[in-house]
Amino acid sequence: MDFTLIVALVIALALIFDFTNGFHDTANAMATPIATGAMKPKVAVGVAAVLNLVGAFLSTEVAKTVSGGIIKEGDGGIQISPEMIFAGLIGAIVWNLITWLRGLPSSSSHALFGGLIGATIIGVGAQAVAFDVVLAKVILPALIAPITVGIVAYLATRLAYAITRRDAGKPDGRGGFRYAQIFSSSLVALSHGTNDAQKTMGVITLTLIAGGYQAVGSGPQFWVVACCALAIAIGTYTGGWRIILTMGRGLTEIKPAQGFAAETSTAATILASSHLGFALSTTQVASGSVIGSGLGRRGSTVRWGMAGQIALGWLLTLPASAIMGAFAAGLALLGPIGIVLDVVIGTAVVYVLFQWSKRDRISHDNLHDIDDAGHVVKIKKTPRKPSRKDRQKVAL
Amino acid sequence: MIDWAAFLVVAAAALVSSAVVVSLYSLGLRLLTTAGRIPTVEPAEFTGAITVLSPARAAKDAKRARKALKANPLTDIQKSVAQYGGYLCFALCGLIVLYGVYLIVPALHQ
Repeated sequence: MDFTLIVALVIALALIFDFTNGFHDTANAMATPIATGAMKPKVAVGVAAVLNLVGAFLSTEVAKTVSGGIIKEGDGGIQISPEMIFAGLIGAIVWNLITWLRGLPSSSSHALFGGLIGATIIGVGAQAVAFDVVLAKVILPALIAPITVGIVAYLATRLAYAITRRDAGKPDGRGGFRYAQIFSSSLVALSHGTNDAQKTMGVITLTLIAGGYQAVGSGPQFWVVACCALAIAIGTYTGGWRIILTMGRGLTEIKPAQGFAAETSTAATILASSHLGFALSTTQVASGSVIGSGLGRRGSTVRWGMAGQIALGWLLTLPASAIMGAFAAGLALLGPIGIVLDVVIGTAVVYVLFQWSKRDRISHDNLHDIDDAGHVVKIKKTPRKPSRKDRQKVAL
Repeated sequence: MIDWAAFLVVAAAALVSSAVVVSLYSLGLRLLTTAGRIPTVEPAEFTGAITVLSPARAAKDAKRARKALKANPLTDIQKSVAQYGGYLCFALCGLIVLYGVYLIVPALHQ
């Protein structure tokens, strides 16, 4: 196959992956403000999209390696070929769509790592995968990050309620947390833009360098940055409403004080970890803090069944996308015909998943009328649409 | 293996900073409420998670709230101290958020 064509395919797939990354992760920032009514759903995803776009331009410090050390690449290691990146991206995109269909928040970067690992095992062999790095960078953080941030969010929620607690009947002004939620969730969205778009920029830039279209060691070109920023912003604006539903209402019922505490813990943890070079998955941090804040408010319940489903999704992310990446890589080894088969099968799978999703459409306009988040949890029926009179008497 | 020292620093930094931000904002709300300027923020949209009270119950709550406000034992000066203290808390919170933006944007600190 013509090298140019495979490079073009990788770029196209990387942008599609970036798009799925965006709509998968809208929920991390915007699920809680949507759930508490701090922002209207459309406004919330719009804000998140703009901040992701801005964030992508703010930080163009792209990764030096595609896999962040998980695959022994570079000096003394292997060269990850465009075909392997192509196969890995197919695995990651399909897994992102499957988890989206199930309404499960799962890490897009883990899906990408999984796809690349699978493709590498088939394309080069298992010795090219640094399994100790996989353990230290993917598996252990996935276990400890949600628990740690859960504790942080739990304590923050307790603090928020303790400080604003007043005698029964006296107004406590906790509705004021809605304003704060706008800022805390925006901070999460901005940091997401600076982190996640860089991954795709890295993939495209390294592919261009490998193809000899760009000087070795040079940064991403402007059109790459612009395309990645746009792809993630459009993805974010499209909104993974199923995942927003799971995060905002499926795990626990969120009140403004909880939402603020959860988002602040998420933002603080992500900022601290990325500033100190200790990468954590935004999705896992955000889910952990929602659960923590659910535990922190008296009288609220956490739906552990849902939490278990999400945790299972995290466990499956790496092996599942690895299997799909391996399958795609196996086909790609057949040569041009394999690549064509990959594209055809990948498109067919994506088409089927989208058709499947139409059976129970979830979007910004029916978000609050849905009783059943991801077909697993029962949620209290939405009360009748309140009249203007009722609105003034709402419990805040 | 995992860098436990770095992880502990991340956990501690996250814990301290979110505790400070949440406490400051909560304190700000508390002070405003104490000063009798209760911040009421209507939800932008009525979601399933928000309970709508029956009119009778809401009226009862509102009456109790008014009664509680009337019985505010603070003098006017104390009230304005509480009010501006509340604003100060919000301002500090805003500064911490700006520091967060500073940390996010590499161009600002490199």
